[in-house]
Amino acid sequence: MGTETIYIEEAYKHRQANEELGKLFTSWGYLPVETPVFDFFDIYQDFIPALKDIYRLIDREGDLLMLRSDITLFLAKQMGLSLKETDLPVRICYSGTILRHQNREDISKNEFFQTGVELIGKEDSNADLEILMLLNSTFNSLEIKPIVHIGSRKLLNASVSDFNNSDKKQIMSMISYRNFENLKNKLKEKNDKERINFLTNLFQFIGTPEELKTLIDSSEKVIIKEELTALNDLILIMESLSKLNVDSDFIIDLSEVGNQSYYTGIVFQGYIEGVDSAVVSGGRYDNLLGQFGFEAPSVGFSLLLRKVENQLGKKFSLPDHENIDDKNFIDAYRKAEKIRKNGRIAIL
Amino acid sequence: MIQKSSEPLSLALPKGRLMEDVKNFFEQKGLDFSFDNRKLVSYDKSGNLKIFLVKNSDLPTYVNHGIAGLGICGSDVLYESGYKFFNLMTFEFGGTSMCIAGMKGQKQNNDERKLSVATKFTKFTSDYFHKKGIPVEIIKLNGSVELAPVLGLTPYIVDLVETGSTLKANNLEVLEKLEDIKVHLIANPAYYKLHYKSIKKIVSILKG
Repeated sequence: MGTETIYIEEAYKHRQANEELGKLFTSWGYLPVETPVFDFFDIYQDFIPALKDIYRLIDREGDLLMLRSDITLFLAKQMGLSLKETDLPVRICYSGTILRHQNREDISKNEFFQTGVELIGKEDSNADLEILMLLNSTFNSLEIKPIVHIGSRKLLNASVSDFNNSDKKQIMSMISYRNFENLKNKLKEKNDKERINFLTNLFQFIGTPEELKTLIDSSEKVIIKEELTALNDLILIMESLSKLNVDSDFIIDLSEVGNQSYYTGIVFQGYIEGVDSAVVSGGRYDNLLGQFGFEAPSVGFSLLLRKVENQLGKKFSLPDHENIDDKNFIDAYRKAEKIRKNGRIAIL
Repeated sequence: MIQKSSEPLSLALPKGRLMEDVKNFFEQKGLDFSFDNRKLVSYDKSGNLKIFLVKNSDLPTYVNHGIAGLGICGSDVLYESGYKFFNLMTFEFGGTSMCIAGMKGQKQNNDERKLSVATKFTKFTSDYFHKKGIPVEIIKLNGSVELAPVLGLTPYIVDLVETGSTLKANNLEVLEKLEDIKVHLIANPAYYKLHYKSIKKIVSILKG
């Protein structure tokens, strides 16, 4: 699949995990959608974070195509074209390969398989919560324990609304790479000293809702209304999560501003011990579908399944098998049948 | 006394030029460490850091793959690696500059059709001149770059210049400083997210 081949035990694990998630998503009412593997490049080009990472090709008519680099993006176009107001809300899930260029020395990042969900047509924080709780269930059913850092693109948009798009892109990269010295210099262009200090502190924040409240209280004079709204939304979500006794760790991290340009609300990434980059990412994107013809607020997440496969619980491993070495095929066959009835593997 | 946290953080240090500076700096902050003869893994005195010694140019690779969560490395090597990290702090020590140099008296000739340069830092050199719109021919060398102009491989070199004594000894001179090179404490982004509390502690000790 993608650019790699996976063998027996590994492939078994991958398939089991994928099936398990399919069942889970279905039980929450999320139904499968398949997206094309390639499509016209020009439709998507504004949404692609790094052009050098995608594969482009030319078809027989001379049109420029691209291979699927992000399922959410391809899905948004399909949904944007086919959905009607009366369909909403729609819950969908997907799983499939994506193709992005990776340094040949760095192929071990395993970013070739996305499994995820999208909840389309619901704008409120209940939808955000539903997605986060489904994420929590996803971790539980895979028997893994990541930590999820939640931030807000809405906050970022409020804080840097007077910068143009290319500046905003730079600022987002500075924040997500925690490059706060450069951020300070950039912010100087449009902000006074107090705002600069406040914003630099704010986007460094990682902590609990209580700690965030303390930060807000001490910044009363510099914080603007839209920032306050975004932060309160986030606090509310966190408080609901803790009332629901989630088993996974969720934490507020305002340096999470989203790895895709289309996000508009909450954004999050999940990390797991022993894996060298985020294993899951997601958030709210209220304007993306509109770009493809149908306005509908959406929220979802996408898991890079291959990254977590060597950490999966035992139930995903290939079960023991029995070799039946009876010379009489009929006897052997009957024995095997019995063993298989008990859910074990029998090899003739 | 620095409290020991449950799991030590992993830190890769580069063998070679920076090692003594790093060691002294860490000693000043109460994070003494030493390596037994030929050993490449050690712990600091407080037990908060598990330290690996790796080849300077391999350091970004170890941190990128999360084998070491943290690393100390010059921006020259970081740039060559092409990987992206969190930059947690910049050190005072170890600073140097990336320069273009050539034979003494032979000024950089702008009329030349193209610039011919020998260097270890091929990515930096090609990106630097590419941005300026200057066509450049780059010949990759792995060491003793100063020899290139002397032996006539290329008229120019791009290399780190600390004191300039090596250049001088080979009858070379700096034509232009291209960039300041600083030493940074870096983190693998995912590692930082998982261990931000203990990392913050270590950074505040180092900054304190």
